[in-house]
Amino acid sequence: MAERGPDLRSGGEPEGAVEIHERQEAVGRDLRTEEMVFNMGPQHPATHGVLRVAVRTDGEHVRALQPHVGNIHRCAEKIGESLPYYQWIPYLDRMDYLAAICNEHVGCMAIERLGGIEVPERAEYIRVIVAEVQRILSHLMAIGVYGLDLGAFTPFLHQFRERERGMDLLDHISGGRLLYHYIRIGGVKRDLSQDWLDELDAWTSEVERRMPEYNTLLLHNRVFQERTFRVGIIDRDTGVRWGVTGPGLRAAGVDWDCRRDAPYSIYDRFDFEVPYGASDIGGVLGDCFQRHWIRVREIEESLKIIRQAREQMPEGPVMGRVPKGFKPPAGEVYIRGENPRGELACYMVSAGKSDKAWRARCRGPSFSNIACITEIAEGQLIADLVAIIGSLDIVLGEVDR
Amino acid sequence: MSESTDTPAAPPADPVTERALAVLQAAIPDGVVAYELTGGHPWIQVRAEDLRAACWLLRDHADTKLDCCHLISGVDWPDAGEGGELEVVYHLCSFELKPEPGYGQRALKNDPWVALKVRVPRDPGEVPTVMDIWTGADWHERETWDLVGVRFTGRRELRRILLPDDWPGHPLRKDWEYPASYHGVPIIPPEGY
Repeated sequence: MAERGPDLRSGGEPEGAVEIHERQEAVGRDLRTEEMVFNMGPQHPATHGVLRVAVRTDGEHVRALQPHVGNIHRCAEKIGESLPYYQWIPYLDRMDYLAAICNEHVGCMAIERLGGIEVPERAEYIRVIVAEVQRILSHLMAIGVYGLDLGAFTPFLHQFRERERGMDLLDHISGGRLLYHYIRIGGVKRDLSQDWLDELDAWTSEVERRMPEYNTLLLHNRVFQERTFRVGIIDRDTGVRWGVTGPGLRAAGVDWDCRRDAPYSIYDRFDFEVPYGASDIGGVLGDCFQRHWIRVREIEESLKIIRQAREQMPEGPVMGRVPKGFKPPAGEVYIRGENPRGELACYMVSAGKSDKAWRARCRGPSFSNIACITEIAEGQLIADLVAIIGSLDIVLGEVDR
Repeated sequence: MSESTDTPAAPPADPVTERALAVLQAAIPDGVVAYELTGGHPWIQVRAEDLRAACWLLRDHADTKLDCCHLISGVDWPDAGEGGELEVVYHLCSFELKPEPGYGQRALKNDPWVALKVRVPRDPGEVPTVMDIWTGADWHERETWDLVGVRFTGRRELRRILLPDDWPGHPLRKDWEYPASYHGVPIIPPEGY
């Protein structure tokens, strides 16, 4: 064997290997490493918007980092107190532009409670159906783009096929492709037709049929798993301390979902599971893989909710009585709802005798979710930083508002 | 609890806020200035100097365990008090203590969170930081400073977060005026402002 050289297949080491290793170590000892600061973003494809992260690196490792936000600040809160209530709703769409319906839902609920407006039963069901359609669309986007971040282009294109069809659904009822302004104060803009509901059924079964396919492409993909296992761990304590919500917190093992535990709208009428992180899924509790897994599972649960809502939905009007020149009495309200990215909360203060809010405040879930990367990305590799930001699934429109 | 009846009965007190109030009153009896237990938005107001003690208590006490600072908002009240007041509202929630089943936004028209308020004079508008109690308060405090101009004391660097560092004033103050220009770019205020 000796004259044929080392057998590499059996793991045999080439001659002189020990020497080489020793020399390499010697180089490592003498090599002076230097810290370097560079900007990731604001125009970086993996930052999902206009986020600038100043990263201090040592070789391939991140020593410290500081996200800089506010690049697309559009004064949503200032606008909220400068415009009448009903005119503020379209601006809510533009905060989290991938979950516009969910934003409208929470915003409208806050204003309705402020003014004591009742929403008809059918409108509540329609709101839940479109909000869950939106959640599926948002999660499809999140999952697909996460693959893209890690170098898997194919799942992204596959998922965009279903996403496009789902967006057509919302387009049909609202006239908008991404920003809908469909949920209005007191109800929804227009009723759902039978054709639309049939198309909804066809779409939900298509998504259900495709999910295993997507999971083969990404979730069960060995390369994907290697990239995401044990990367960017947010444990329970860190997540709660930083105010992380949504899939990020559930991946850390916190069994909490606003829709089930603090039900708003009519979510208490549906039977669905809340997936949360566990050690037997793969990876470790709260890593990038588990956040991805939660999103996949949530799509399945959203499909369940849509089916149940579809069955229970009564006939009736879709718009309640909203007084002209709506002026809610003085008071305040705090509503939170489960968005695809976490808990969106709306704090409205009315001083009374005015059609404008005294203070319109929104808590964007991405705002709190992204804040915690200063802590969790420390000591990780630069390549993993992309994996971490992608797995948090932030929308910068909502961070900057 | 009961289905809505036609006769307006006494509105039920919010159990979560009630518990928090009991905790605060037992430990810092003078700290609680005012409170509201009923209605759509129950709240507890504490003195600014007792804010940090109240926050530590609410976070660590076994009855409340408010381990998450959900939102910090600043509200400007230029006509309140002498020379105006700034109100800072802390919406706190717990991921440790679960609400009883059926208790939710629909049943009692309340979600299990506690609103803690503090009011300070508009000038200088100083409120102690809670960043070391809930790390996530960091960015919320920076945003409140940026937009409303509440000066959080005792914390590291209070920088603007959403607006440019050299932006004039705090836009959500009610007396804020649109600057004529910013770096040579004229600013036209919206119609009717």
